Amino acid sequence: MTIEIIASEKVVEQEVKKTRNTQRFLRVFLARKTVVASLAIIFIMIICAIFAPLLAPYDPYKQDYAQILADPSLAHPFGTDMVGRDVLSRIIYGSQAALLVGIVSVAIASVIGIILGLVSGYAGGLVDALIMRAMDALMAIPPIILALVFVAAFGGGLTNVMITLGLSLVPTYARLMRGQVLAIRQADYVVAQELMGSTNIRNMIKHVLPNCISPLIVLITLNFGVAILAEAGLSFLGLGIVPPKAAWGSMINDGYKYLLSNPILSFAPGMAVVLVVVAFNIVGDALRDALDPRLKGSL
Amino acid sequence: MGHLLEVKNLQTQFTVDRNVVKAVDGVSYYVDEGEVVAVVGESGSGKSVTQYSGIQLIPSPPGKITGGEVLFNGKNLLQLSGEELRQVRGGEIGVVFQEPMTSLNPVLTIGYQIIETIILHLKMNKKDARKHAIELLKSVGIPDAEERIDYYPHQFSGGMRQRVCIAMAMACKPKILIADEATTALDVTTQAQILEMLKNIAKETKTSIVLVTHNLGIVARYADRIYVMYAGEIVESGTTKEIFSSPKHPYTISLLNAIPRLDDPRGRQLIPIDGIPPSLINKQDICAFLPRCQHRTAACSFKPAPKLESVGGSHYAACHEEITSEAIQETAAARAASKDSSADVVNDQQSSNENLLEVKNLKMYFPVTKGVLKRKVADVKAVDDVSFTIKKGETLGLVGESGCGKTTIIRSILRMYEPTSGEVIFDGQNIAKMPKSKLRPLRKNISLVFQDPFSSLDPRQSAGSIIGEPLIIHQLTKTKQEYEKRVDKLFELVGLNLAWKNRVPHEFSGGQRQRIGIARALASNPSFIVCDEAISALDVSIQAQIINLLEDLQKKLGLTYLFVAHDLSVVRHISDRIVVMYLGKIVEVADWKSLYENPLHPYTKGLLAAVPIPDPFVEETREHVMLEGEIPSVMNRPKGCAFINRCPIATKECSEAEPPLIETENGHSVACIKVGKEVGV
Repeated sequence: MTIEIIASEKVVEQEVKKTRNTQRFLRVFLARKTVVASLAIIFIMIICAIFAPLLAPYDPYKQDYAQILADPSLAHPFGTDMVGRDVLSRIIYGSQAALLVGIVSVAIASVIGIILGLVSGYAGGLVDALIMRAMDALMAIPPIILALVFVAAFGGGLTNVMITLGLSLVPTYARLMRGQVLAIRQADYVVAQELMGSTNIRNMIKHVLPNCISPLIVLITLNFGVAILAEAGLSFLGLGIVPPKAAWGSMINDGYKYLLSNPILSFAPGMAVVLVVVAFNIVGDALRDALDPRLKGSL
Repeated sequence: MGHLLEVKNLQTQFTVDRNVVKAVDGVSYYVDEGEVVAVVGESGSGKSVTQYSGIQLIPSPPGKITGGEVLFNGKNLLQLSGEELRQVRGGEIGVVFQEPMTSLNPVLTIGYQIIETIILHLKMNKKDARKHAIELLKSVGIPDAEERIDYYPHQFSGGMRQRVCIAMAMACKPKILIADEATTALDVTTQAQILEMLKNIAKETKTSIVLVTHNLGIVARYADRIYVMYAGEIVESGTTKEIFSSPKHPYTISLLNAIPRLDDPRGRQLIPIDGIPPSLINKQDICAFLPRCQHRTAACSFKPAPKLESVGGSHYAACHEEITSEAIQETAAARAASKDSSADVVNDQQSSNENLLEVKNLKMYFPVTKGVLKRKVADVKAVDDVSFTIKKGETLGLVGESGCGKTTIIRSILRMYEPTSGEVIFDGQNIAKMPKSKLRPLRKNISLVFQDPFSSLDPRQSAGSIIGEPLIIHQLTKTKQEYEKRVDKLFELVGLNLAWKNRVPHEFSGGQRQRIGIARALASNPSFIVCDEAISALDVSIQAQIINLLEDLQKKLGLTYLFVAHDLSVVRHISDRIVVMYLGKIVEVADWKSLYENPLHPYTKGLLAAVPIPDPFVEETREHVMLEGEIPSVMNRPKGCAFINRCPIATKECSEAEPPLIETENGHSVACIKVGKEVGV
């Protein structure tokens, strides 16, 4: 009788195991306080982007010539710029552009990169050589320079910035994915599929892809930061988002001329960029730790 | 006078996910000078952790030694630290690890690594240390030691590397040598060579040896005393003879009943141990073996965990019940029953005369290329002109040392490689050169069971969908209900609980995963199943479950098996006919009876002699003929007979031509010119 009790306890124990894995993931992920803070920053940014019209105290585009270059005050926490626009409101609206660029360009990069890497690693041979050499060529040019060339050729604006940033990030995804695929392809369970007579497409999508994806999730998170930074850089150079649309990079550029008299004009949007990029990096790192099976049980 | 090493009530625990795992729970044992002590247990039984706790090699955190003392020459090792501890480790206690591939530093010569240890502990100058190192290498049987001392680890074979590791461990004349599964990764012949050498070392230098292993055969042949471990505790201890002649703990008894032996009567049903070893998380004070015990009583579950108590002489067991005579009777009865059934063996062979698979002159060469233009300079003849047949319903065993081409054969048959030439006729069709698209629908008739149950299942798929995969690929079921019904049936067939359908592989134990692998192989209703070392990655107590399952399935479904393995006892147990390979060629083919009772080829004889039998009394009377040397590289195959360099009966004639495979008697073929002559005389 007692034996049966022991046996049933075992079943319960194994049932609990599944939830334990999610718990472990969350525990490792949230182990550091900086990660929680970073998540909070990202959360605030997303809220700002979605509810900008509700949160912003002023219209970010309304020029108030009575309040040109005002110092920070209760009415304008970060002051106003050279045409009297409220800096805080512009930062809040600027998060929309940053978030949009981050999401769209990383989505473009990861989708194209993952498909190319998957095909390249799985097919091998000539297909692999062609794709990877093309990626090498693309990779030889630094992303920001590449984006400069694209924007110079096709013009600035939000859409073009997103497309060019997306394309310039493709090689990292393709290479990482290919490496993953090469390793996973050798795994017995993939071989098993082939021996069962499974088709290549099915094998690729159903078995190889899901098992390759976790390091890519980390890369995606990290690249949000990269994309936002690049967008700020391009906007700073005047090649990104067209004024007067609020974007953090162009705001830094606008304030740059008043750096000595009104440093807050550049400093405030600059801090926004730094905070968000650092937050994405920290979350990416934590995600890598939490997804790495070798670190299981170490915390 | 105390013992050389005495461990008292050692406790080691790990903290995993905030749970305490008592890996070693109150273990006491001793080692005397010059004796060979074996610590036997399954994986996770705490046998290695016990050894490493003594010399404080436990990673901490998460590990922690929470109690007990380890007295070595009167000193408590657990209180030593820093310099003192380093003197003991590597100085007075040497360790040889399981993986010879990873325990040597690949970027340093072996000489450098040995000399480093010698200088550190014996305070010699460089020149003397080098001399000493060469002597050591000679003593562990490395030929041309003067030259080889400057080789890098990758220039040695696995067996040779393990010898180097032993030389390194012996460098400072340790008083105790701990061999942690030191021969598990090696071939049987190499394993025998190394263990024989260790035993001689123990005799000559009075070094005590602690053999940590799961292989009961090794223990029976080499150990003086045994400690059996289960779930972090020692459950039985005694001299080798005491334990094998009258095991007192139910675990030991069951273990001995569960393993196939080389001298088994044919048809003996293995008696597996039900269930799986317990999780050591939050262990309770109750007999750990209770759920799997055949001899448990109602009272057992109310008593605290049993302590080791003397059951006569130096023999101790930790069990509440006195199950002695009854258990022995049962063991005897099981054996007797199997002997009866051996009478039906002839009828048991239901194999028809029809060939299911016919391999004709199969060759698999891998080109060796050189230079930028990839000029082909040579061929690696991994499989060279191999022919054999498998009849419907029979089990063909394929054995040989690693590197003999077993795996390549399977892969060529399954078309994971494209065979260089030859025919593979399956069910009347030659599949060796068939285009892949035509081959695909045929794949449902041939399945493979993999060696590693951990890597052969997609970690992200649920058990149910893994097993159902072949049904979807070949569109074998029409409706959703039919699919579910078939999957349920497969679950039942391999003895898996239907409630587990939605679990992912890592939630199963090794044995359960192998069951999933087998169920997947069965899903498409194949007639032919290839088992590639299908049980060698499993624990001893689980192996019997899987062997029995495979045998049952064969009876129920009329399957044909190609069973590839290096464990000759298992192959003997399961196979009808056996093919022995050496260096890409078949050297002997026979039915199991003639092969094991009357092996003809000197290689087969050597292989069989190298397999230890888990019975010290049998081992005493057995001749230990050892195969010298190692399997040569396929790249420089000796002229004539490939086995010539290791063969005890080779003469000059043997080097003249490759011996053909000739049938000597009914169904027994051998490739050796000597054998043909003996028969002729």
